[in-house]
Amino acid sequence: MVGTDQFSDEFAIAASGAEVRRAAEWLVANCRQHDVPQAQMDRLELCLHEALANVITHGGENAAAAPIRMRLEVTRDPQCSACVTVIDAGEAFDPSSVPERISPATLAETEPGGLGLVMIRRFSDRLDYRHEDGYNHLTFGVRWSAS
Amino acid sequence: MSISHEDVGGNLRRITISGRLDMEGTDSVGAKLVELVAAPTKGVVVDLSGVRFLASIGIRALIQSAKAVEKRGGKMVLLVSQGSQVVMSLEATGIDQLIPIFTSDRDAERAALA
Repeated sequence: MVGTDQFSDEFAIAASGAEVRRAAEWLVANCRQHDVPQAQMDRLELCLHEALANVITHGGENAAAAPIRMRLEVTRDPQCSACVTVIDAGEAFDPSSVPERISPATLAETEPGGLGLVMIRRFSDRLDYRHEDGYNHLTFGVRWSAS
Repeated sequence: MSISHEDVGGNLRRITISGRLDMEGTDSVGAKLVELVAAPTKGVVVDLSGVRFLASIGIRALIQSAKAVEKRGGKMVLLVSQGSQVVMSLEATGIDQLIPIFTSDRDAERAALA
């Protein structure tokens, strides 16, 4: 805790699909405790799942060998926002470098891949990426108005 | 996480999934879903009204299932709860435009058999 208008917490999981729910539970518990509205929490939870799934599925050997770290920051001044940064040792991957997925016209033409990134882009109000000291830092966030 | 099915007459299969279709949940029911949609019924309704979380891996399983049903000349539709997180995921990815979604059981069954 950094004061009444700012909160931050960190968590880490092994790079395994079986660990993703622990990360979701950590996120939801902290969001509830700090009054993040349900709609924004749902969006953040989906983004977190997709970011972790991407690291676990496509991050390669380096990603699998190191914990995935996460940092949640909730801010209320001057604007309400909640951001998660996912830090992993996998292959460098900048989501903003990937072109927008073109929506297929028919089910037969639909390729099931690439939807995770679509969801992160749709559900986040903020999306930043940097690669530093061998680690990916992906930050996604949501905003809301103070009631 | 659970998956079950019920055959309604000879033409319609209703598959009910509940829990979270995240990495772990989809891993636990994905193979069963593939097996259940392979039955030669004309229509398939996948009831997701008991699903609380739908991630891209779950959507991927639904797309593969719907394509398999379409390939054998059938039709798969989804039954969802209005305003749920499941609807949010389907709409955000545009999958609601490819696999019809319904909030009424009756409408879903009718569409699957149309």
